[in-house]
Amino acid sequence: MQLRERLQAWRYNLIPDHLIGEILTKRWTDNAIPFLALVITVATFGTLIPGFFKPTSLQASTRQLGEFSLVVTGLTVVMLGGGIDLAVGSIFALSAFAAVACFFIFDLPVWVAFLASLSVGVVFGAINGYLIGYLRLRAFLTTLVTFIIGRAVYDILVVTFASLVQMSSAQSNDWDFIGDGTALGLSVPVWAALILGIITHIALTRSRPGWHVLAVGGSRRSAYNAGIKVRRTVFLTYVFSGLCASAAGFLIATRLSGAGPGTGQGLEIAALTAAVVGGNSLGGGRGSVAKGMMGAIIVLVMTNGLIRMGYGTGTNQMVLGLLLAAAVTIDIRWLKNRHKVLNEVYVAPVYLAMGPTQSAEPNSGTPYALNNRLSQADAIGLGALEGPEDVILDANDHLYCGTRHGEIVRFFAPDYTRSEVFAHVGGFPLGLAFDAKGNLISCVGAMGLYSISPDRVVTKLSAETARSLTSIVDDARLRDPNDLDIAPDGKIYFTDSTKRYDAHEWTLDSIENRATGRLLVYDPKVGRTRTLLDGYRYTNGVCMAHDNKSLFFAESWACRIHRYWLEGPKAGTAECVIRDMPGYPDNINRASDGTYWMAWLGMRTPSFDLSLRHPGMRKRMARRLPQDDWLFPNINTGGVVKFDETGRIIQTMGDLTGASHAMVTSMREHKGQLFIGGIFNNRIGRFTIEGADAGWSGTLSYWGAAK
Amino acid sequence: MIFDPILDIFRGKAVTIPPLDGAFRPNTALDDAPVVAHMPQPDNLVVWRGRVVASSGTTLQEPNGEVLQNYSCDVTALAASSRGDLAVGLEDGSLIVAGQALTRPAEVRCITALAFGADGRLWLANGSATLRPSQWATDLMMKNASGSVWVYDGAWRRVAGSLAWPYGLLPDGAGVIVSESWRHRLLHLGGTRPQPVLESLPGYPARLSPAEGGGAWLALFAPRNRLIEFVLQETYYRLAMMAEVPPEFWIAPALSSGRSFLEPLQCGGIRMLGVHKAWSPTRSFGLVVRLGADMAPNFSLHSRANGTRHGVTSVLEHQGQLLIASKGGDCIVTGGHTETEGD
Repeated sequence: MQLRERLQAWRYNLIPDHLIGEILTKRWTDNAIPFLALVITVATFGTLIPGFFKPTSLQASTRQLGEFSLVVTGLTVVMLGGGIDLAVGSIFALSAFAAVACFFIFDLPVWVAFLASLSVGVVFGAINGYLIGYLRLRAFLTTLVTFIIGRAVYDILVVTFASLVQMSSAQSNDWDFIGDGTALGLSVPVWAALILGIITHIALTRSRPGWHVLAVGGSRRSAYNAGIKVRRTVFLTYVFSGLCASAAGFLIATRLSGAGPGTGQGLEIAALTAAVVGGNSLGGGRGSVAKGMMGAIIVLVMTNGLIRMGYGTGTNQMVLGLLLAAAVTIDIRWLKNRHKVLNEVYVAPVYLAMGPTQSAEPNSGTPYALNNRLSQADAIGLGALEGPEDVILDANDHLYCGTRHGEIVRFFAPDYTRSEVFAHVGGFPLGLAFDAKGNLISCVGAMGLYSISPDRVVTKLSAETARSLTSIVDDARLRDPNDLDIAPDGKIYFTDSTKRYDAHEWTLDSIENRATGRLLVYDPKVGRTRTLLDGYRYTNGVCMAHDNKSLFFAESWACRIHRYWLEGPKAGTAECVIRDMPGYPDNINRASDGTYWMAWLGMRTPSFDLSLRHPGMRKRMARRLPQDDWLFPNINTGGVVKFDETGRIIQTMGDLTGASHAMVTSMREHKGQLFIGGIFNNRIGRFTIEGADAGWSGTLSYWGAAK
Repeated sequence: MIFDPILDIFRGKAVTIPPLDGAFRPNTALDDAPVVAHMPQPDNLVVWRGRVVASSGTTLQEPNGEVLQNYSCDVTALAASSRGDLAVGLEDGSLIVAGQALTRPAEVRCITALAFGADGRLWLANGSATLRPSQWATDLMMKNASGSVWVYDGAWRRVAGSLAWPYGLLPDGAGVIVSESWRHRLLHLGGTRPQPVLESLPGYPARLSPAEGGGAWLALFAPRNRLIEFVLQETYYRLAMMAEVPPEFWIAPALSSGRSFLEPLQCGGIRMLGVHKAWSPTRSFGLVVRLGADMAPNFSLHSRANGTRHGVTSVLEHQGQLLIASKGGDCIVTGGHTETEGD
């Protein structure tokens, strides 16, 4: 092995590239960028500004932060509902004025001032909500208009009544406590923001109105079709936003004991920036209160920090603007391209040097030499079947197979021209086996292990095993259950081929070639599944040995057959019995003469074998080419191979024309005939095996005559 | 995406190829066309003394199967002059004109195309400076551009060099139009510098022949394929493939494909429910293009991924009949309609 190749092997087999893709599938990665921004902002200004973390300094900023967070929480809810609220600044200012006016001019109690300011917010929010929700005006323009009007009203009021406020001598301890005091070390605005934030979070994530808001923001039309009252929901989000802004306005009124021309100026931009920087999507439907809070902290730390470093309002506004622009760009690009990024990085190939193999070319003289025997098979269900991965026959000679539509189809003996849907399971039924009671057990791709009773009742047996400790994506779930066999004690041994790809994407696993296949056992007595072996390259067919002391299983992408011992000195261990085959093995089943049939789903090609030694090439291929153009193993040519317990190859059959049985995924011997299935085929093949025991059948071999 | 130019540095650009659209819109004309003759690997078609002659392996044949000539090695190029002289290029690099071996420059060892101009001069395309015509796939995979075009009028003169596998010649009054396979384009030589005539072809152009009423017929012997273009950029894989994999199983264009299970398969080429999709990516294809008098493509005849008339290397329009040599399909077919037609 050359140095370069060895380095490649280390690079791709030791560095877990696949984790990037798995992490990206997690929803919480959406929070990662704002959180990182938060840490960087706080760290930067914390180091640049001496005394930034001092309690007195923090106390002053946290009051402001509490008020700001309230506004941002309200705006977040509006944005989650798919809208935008620019009027928060003017609502904030007007409600502050309402509180000040009530308290100082009319000399009313604090609670009346509080209610007055809240009602200002609710009324303004309701106006916005009515215009946008019920009259369906554009949110941006509508709130811009209410913002301008509200601001104008506020400016008039402040000029007119400022002197009256100045001259007032109203005093109240409650007023001062709200504005100046602390409870348990935290100021009232911080408490208010925390409590409101928690309530809003719970409401959004765990209550019906909250879900409605998210649904409307995610897709208005779907929400409407689902019966959600879209208009009312939109209306309520603006009312809520007005309420939050007015609560914040009341708090600033108590803190400053007055209202000046600058109150609430630029608040709408700051709040919008905070909500977006936190990671709430402008398009609606995606976001959370926590994100809004993170954004609020980032924006406030940044603006206050800049002021304390001596920069003026202009710089501040510019930084806010740039921050907003960056956040909006990242938000939109990320949302739009997240799945593309995921697609591009998900396939993370590993290095594998396949062993040299014997030729399977016809006339090569090896035991693997393919011929055209399978092309002469009679077709069953031609054109009516789609994707019979596995085939099986019952004691009455009826023929069963799964289809890609999630059905188990039954063909009636003796001529197999009539058929019926025996049961609908869903998923993609793959491996099939009959248990002692005549139940049909199936590995259903993308679903799990299922049992179908003779009277067609479908029961889920198992869909999960124990989760492994180092998994990022939950690998307890059975992603691609593939084939099974049943021991005399009723235990079901089956394979789950890959943890990385769903059943319908099974071919992509060959590109990646990561060893994540498992051998599992389901114990019907306790109803649980246990993992026996892990770390094979696409575990596939399973077959109990004739003496039931061991089982054979196929490792497709490595072209190997293993034997797993159930009893004896080697119990619990696996050994490789056939290695370096020229084809990729699929299902394994018993033959009447004490040997075994194995299906080949495809053939190795020199160019693909070579690509397995060039993982970087495959990785770039997956990124730079559309999937249809990717290099695949040749799964257009398959075959049927007979082998004995020692792993000796007895016979190989194929269809080199590719016309009838291009890819073979299973075969079942029954009363002297061989039935052939293929996951991408449109038929089941049948032909008579020369010299086979015409009385032998699988059910007899497994469960004897008494049934 | 706006970040693409930056990200491309790290991840590489998407590999794209020209779509089969417009004049190249797919059809099944070549697979539907009647067969004129079956013969192994028919390559170059010419009209010599009023008869249609095809090269096939080491022989020159008439479509009825009559063998006119036998040579010591494969015939790689043919041309017939208006005076009745036949020029024959051979795999070993030798050139025979009117039955006589013609001395040629030492550099000329890979004769891929021959053509007589209206003035009687003989044009010669030398595919590669180092390889033989049958090693064309190696030339592509080595990314060579050592081909040249020569003209003979008593003495040899090199018209252009550094060409990436010149494979077809169409002399006109001012010079010659050359198909440059590995760069997917037609060039006009003869002026002060080579002038591109037609670029971004969806396949690898082979021989050119004149069409009635102006313009030309262009045979494209293999399609462009994203995987192949990707492999061309993958230096280590490509070199390892050339060293370890038999040439017929390379990820490279081919004259025919799907004959062995050891050939590379692409995802789109998987047989689904017994169907081989016509639009699946393929290493071989049949494609003939009619170029108008301005050398812009007018229409085309196809044999798609699931067809068999692949690897067309030469087209001949003769007495209102269009003859198409499918080297990968081992037959000569007649295109029937030779008129310029729209959709």
